[in-house]
Amino acid sequence: MNLRLIIALVAAKLAMYLSKLSGRGRGSSLPGMVALRICPDLLKYYQGRPRNGVIMTTGTNGKTTTSNMLADILENEGYRVVTNREGANLITGVATALIKASTLTARLNCDYAVLEVDEAAFPIVTRWIKPSRVMVTNFFRDQLDRYGELDTTVSKVLDALNKLPGEAKLILNVDDPLVARLSRETGKATIYYGVRPDAVLSSIAAYSRESKFCPFCGGTLVYNIYLYSQLGDYKCPKCGFVRPQPDIEAEDVTSDAVGTKAIIYDHSSSSRGVWPLYIPVQGIYNIYNALAAFTTALSLGVMPEKAALSLTAYTPATGRMESFRYGNKQVTLTLVKNPTGFNQALTALLAQKGRQDIMIAINDNDADGRDISWLWDVDFEVLAQYPEQFNRFICSGQRAEEMALRLKYAGVPIMLLAMEKDYQRAVNAALQGEGAAVGILATYTALWPVEKILGQKAERVSYRADRMSSIS
Amino acid sequence: MLTVCHLYPDLLNLYGDRGNVLAFMRRCSWRGLSVQVREVNLGDPVEFADYDFLFIGGGSDREQALMAADLKTRVDALRMAVDNGLVVLAICGGYQLLGRYYRTPQGHEIPGLGLLDFYTEAGDKRIIGNVVLEAELAGKKTKLVGFENHGGKTFINGQKPLGSVLYGHGNNGQDGQEGVRYKNVFCSYLHGPLLPKNPVLTDYIIALALERKGYSSKLNVLDDEIENLANQAMVDRLLS
Repeated sequence: MNLRLIIALVAAKLAMYLSKLSGRGRGSSLPGMVALRICPDLLKYYQGRPRNGVIMTTGTNGKTTTSNMLADILENEGYRVVTNREGANLITGVATALIKASTLTARLNCDYAVLEVDEAAFPIVTRWIKPSRVMVTNFFRDQLDRYGELDTTVSKVLDALNKLPGEAKLILNVDDPLVARLSRETGKATIYYGVRPDAVLSSIAAYSRESKFCPFCGGTLVYNIYLYSQLGDYKCPKCGFVRPQPDIEAEDVTSDAVGTKAIIYDHSSSSRGVWPLYIPVQGIYNIYNALAAFTTALSLGVMPEKAALSLTAYTPATGRMESFRYGNKQVTLTLVKNPTGFNQALTALLAQKGRQDIMIAINDNDADGRDISWLWDVDFEVLAQYPEQFNRFICSGQRAEEMALRLKYAGVPIMLLAMEKDYQRAVNAALQGEGAAVGILATYTALWPVEKILGQKAERVSYRADRMSSIS
Repeated sequence: MLTVCHLYPDLLNLYGDRGNVLAFMRRCSWRGLSVQVREVNLGDPVEFADYDFLFIGGGSDREQALMAADLKTRVDALRMAVDNGLVVLAICGGYQLLGRYYRTPQGHEIPGLGLLDFYTEAGDKRIIGNVVLEAELAGKKTKLVGFENHGGKTFINGQKPLGSVLYGHGNNGQDGQEGVRYKNVFCSYLHGPLLPKNPVLTDYIIALALERKGYSSKLNVLDDEIENLANQAMVDRLLS
């Protein structure tokens, strides 16, 4: 019996209890931080504990949604699942989730651990805990000052995957060349998911600014169809690297203000089939998240019909396009953290009917990324093309001025711009604006205070207490 | 008509540096000055002599290597244009490339274009964070703000820096200098991007481009309330 481990777990549980008691913060990282300080190799005691294995999700966007979707499917199958639902995905968040579910001797009574792991933390977490399945969603630019450049991130994840035991399986997004490459480079058994190339989808998708170069030879990739960022049907004319054939593929994807529909095909030899899928969240990117969860669930033996049914009942976590109602106005709250995600959020705003009041809260704390230069890679120019759709843009957060500046240079008329650093007043101004709907976008550390204010003033359309995000 | 050359926008698309081109364009057109931008990618033909403002950003190591290889084939034309007063803004990786060499941690020297007399060596720790500089532009002192993120340390051999560091690290974290100036070339490590929230620098660069073309360099005053607030917010936060 390891005394240090027990002391660490007692301290962490105490921290959890105190944080609950004080009602401050939601303690999704702090207890793990406390425990790791006392017992740095704490995670190794959890290796092998979940009876049926550990499934990790990494990548830039969609980790929380994908991981939560899979956890839902498995829970609906009757499995006991330990998961870091709240999106705390650094080593401290992973440790907190495990400690919370475990005894003081690190025993877990669960079938699966479904863990979302930050791409920079992935090599560290997998040093201790070996997943049997890894889902990789996509690689976009994100918070560069924390991660170094995209190439470095991808190669670190690749290194970590190479160090996993031979039987670990990869579930990869076939439409992202930076993700699809991981199969060939690790030699690991892979199941690919993707969206069937379709010119209709391509024309409604926003812009791209990601480098589109072959990860193997550096040649320029040629796209048959282009979805968003570097995602699409690609091939390299120089070395022949080409989008692999997906095992699970979505077709006829359509998205409206309430949800997204698609038809899913299973092309794998073992279990051919076709299923309709409906998820109650907007945006083509959410089809990718659902596909990853669906594909992984099937590989764990879940019946496809039941996996699809669980996805239909999915409710988003805080900031992943949450809906509120204020009087007769629809209010959406969206987390923004990189150009690709922000562009998708803008596409969703433009799809709304009626004039809107927009609030954008930008912070530059560590968790947001201290460098906010990426705002200049977001295509705010599309907003300036439809000025009649917007009543006002209220810029808030620590970098409110910079946000207003970005909109000014995007061509948004100055008279539509306002700055209000105080969240309370900013939310009030947005809710009481003359628009017929309200769109609120916030970076990570601005999200929680804004969500709290919104929760007091407006009625939540979807709510699950265990889904609340935390910034502790 | 001013013509802007945006070098390798497909390749060097990190850190929002395209905002620099946007700021130059907007501040010209808000004044009724006609301006156009041409994006030049790897292998595209380019006549540097035809341009009034050249922008070079930075990229990851791989992208940087591709850009260096391509620019090396055009270095003579670029040198001639620079000597003829071409206005250039080079940021981060683009900055390093204009110098003599980059020395790796193993002591290996990767040659640069050698347009300016400075060199860069790999540092032991990446320098990351907000920066405030004091620069002298057209005889007036002004504070520039931005965000630095670089692994290399640059030494400018007594040439004129863009500014002196009031907060942050600058070229190498040792001599208190940031960037370098040579003729009408401006080099800096600062992302942010640099030009939008430093309108005094942007206008100075526009004026130089106009002057070189033989136009009047007197610029109409613009309403810079938001620009100045963005600049001042960082100055207040970092220097108080």
